[in-house]
Amino acid sequence: MNMDFEAPKRQHPLGVFIIGAQFTWKVIQSSWPILIGATLGELKWYHLLILPAVLVLIGAFALLYYLRFHFYISSDALIVERGIFQRERLQIPFDRIQAVQLFQGPIQQVFGLTGVRVDTAGSSGSELELVAIRKSEATVLQQFLNSKMAATTLGEEEGQRADDAPDQEPEGQPLVALDFRGLLKVGLSQNHFKNAFLGLALFLSLFQGAEEQVSQWLDGVPVVLLSALGLTSVLLFIPGLVVMGSIGVLTSLGSVLLRYWRLNSTLGRDGLKLQMGLLRRNAFEVPFDKIHLTEWKSNWIRRLLGYETLRIRQAQAEGSGGLRVFIPAMEPVHRTAMESALYPDFNEENKAFDVAPVRRLRWLLFAAASIPALLLMTEPSTTHILLSTMWLMGVYWTTGKRYSAYRLRVFADCVIMEKGWFWQNRTVLKMSQLQGVEWKRNALLERRQIGHLVFHTAAGGRSFDYVHSDDASLIRDFALNQLHAAQPAPSRLAAE
Amino acid sequence: MDISTASNPPLDLTQLPRLEEVEYLPISKKYRGMRLAFWALVQLVVLAAGLTPFLMHKLGGYEDMAEFSAWYWPVSVQMIFALLWFLEEWKGFPRRGYAVRERDITYRTGWLFRSTTTVPFGMIQHSELSQGPVSRKLGLNHLKLFTAGGSGNLRIAGLEDADAQALRTVIEARTRR
Repeated sequence: MNMDFEAPKRQHPLGVFIIGAQFTWKVIQSSWPILIGATLGELKWYHLLILPAVLVLIGAFALLYYLRFHFYISSDALIVERGIFQRERLQIPFDRIQAVQLFQGPIQQVFGLTGVRVDTAGSSGSELELVAIRKSEATVLQQFLNSKMAATTLGEEEGQRADDAPDQEPEGQPLVALDFRGLLKVGLSQNHFKNAFLGLALFLSLFQGAEEQVSQWLDGVPVVLLSALGLTSVLLFIPGLVVMGSIGVLTSLGSVLLRYWRLNSTLGRDGLKLQMGLLRRNAFEVPFDKIHLTEWKSNWIRRLLGYETLRIRQAQAEGSGGLRVFIPAMEPVHRTAMESALYPDFNEENKAFDVAPVRRLRWLLFAAASIPALLLMTEPSTTHILLSTMWLMGVYWTTGKRYSAYRLRVFADCVIMEKGWFWQNRTVLKMSQLQGVEWKRNALLERRQIGHLVFHTAAGGRSFDYVHSDDASLIRDFALNQLHAAQPAPSRLAAE
Repeated sequence: MDISTASNPPLDLTQLPRLEEVEYLPISKKYRGMRLAFWALVQLVVLAAGLTPFLMHKLGGYEDMAEFSAWYWPVSVQMIFALLWFLEEWKGFPRRGYAVRERDITYRTGWLFRSTTTVPFGMIQHSELSQGPVSRKLGLNHLKLFTAGGSGNLRIAGLEDADAQALRTVIEARTRR
């Protein structure tokens, strides 16, 4: 087997089938209206001949595409040449690579091949996929690219050392691994309400003709029977709720099974490794220094199970959501392991600031949440007054809880923003990776010296709202200072 | 992760360089005129559109369109917006300004919605000078600074030619790439 990537080479020959399958899928996606239109007209047997013709054409294109697709590695970039009519040469410098991801779709799993996906943070939002590589080759390529990425970001000296030093812990520290029971737990603690709507939308988009057929059938039903049907439909309301609920739970379970099947993750020396997925199996390798934001989310049920969801965000091209990896079921042990690897400064000794929002926020939250009660009071009656006082009392209690959950903590390098009481959300970012700091407020807030502090990162901006300007300006100065301290000093020439 | 012991003396938080103390440099006065002219132009168009039904009624075209009471609502809302916009331009203009420190640039803007954004030179990926036809006639430039991720992008509008060139040289010299 040829493990040398320096000479231009093609993908694995079986890749023709995968490229063919991708082309077929694209053709179906772009021509389905024509296909449906064709079935409505009168079909003669010879019309069906068009199908094999199209398949042959796709096959020929796939073969050509495969033959003209070359990839290789130069001294500082991964280079891909591709295209049938219009030749294209993509050159991806190692320092622009954000992540190298291995994946196995259903076809790749059958053939025992692996795809490689290289993500960059370019403003073009371009990413690159090699669809068919032998597994052993793919891991070598991934490791090679990862070592190059680390070398370019650490600087020459350290990069050299990282290459020479024997790997102390080749496997790394095991992190979350999900078995079937874990998957069930994650699935059941999803947001079923949201998933019910998602599932319903998916279901309806699969059976677009169904609605029409139902209405046609209803037209045929005698009038007397129809009124009886109308009555039963009221009785069907409760079963309807049950159906909706089960759709939600099923969608949650299904999506979790597809996405997180046999999830396995390890914390390496300088990056996070994880594999997951059923139909399309992904293997991510995320270097720590390419992580720009981590978000920890949990709801009440999740916390009962001792789980949190971790969202890792990498640099984004403008407007795109950015690269992100979700890990569900992070237990407290995993969280400390992850945080001590990513944010070594995160301990009480290094704490520089611990700030809560101004008390006004509590009243704003309360005022916003009491609008339903005020709407009820527009038509005063005993029940309405009773209901709205109960609502106000409940809301007063929850807003107190919500208010006390807001917290901004600043350490030597990391910033931790906590929000939420039922749905908790904790965002962590590093000041040395900040792209900018913003102090936002409106004229009314400024009079009371209140504003919002926004941290701009390569993975998007995150704001901590309703802080007193004294706190905010100190934190802003501190953040900028830490950011500058982490960067090389500007050259003297420039200072001139 | 390889953690080596780095020297980490405690920081005196009162001795940090203060952003509050910097002096902001104003942008060109001509830019205020340009913005106010744009405001006036928009108001003129909207006013014309708002008055059309009244005029048509007066000219006798639409006698059956007698009820205009509902029409006053959108017109008055629009007038409030126009006033707020004018105040934003008039009172907000003196607040527009930029401050350059050794390692970062700060831009302050807005009266009703105020924002002060600081972007370190080291994080600027590239910069862009742009001019529309009107601003070219007036000799004004708009400088846009791009950062990774795009959420920290900065647009400093209404710079005189000389200021814009000076600012750009300073920034180009201090960005890493």
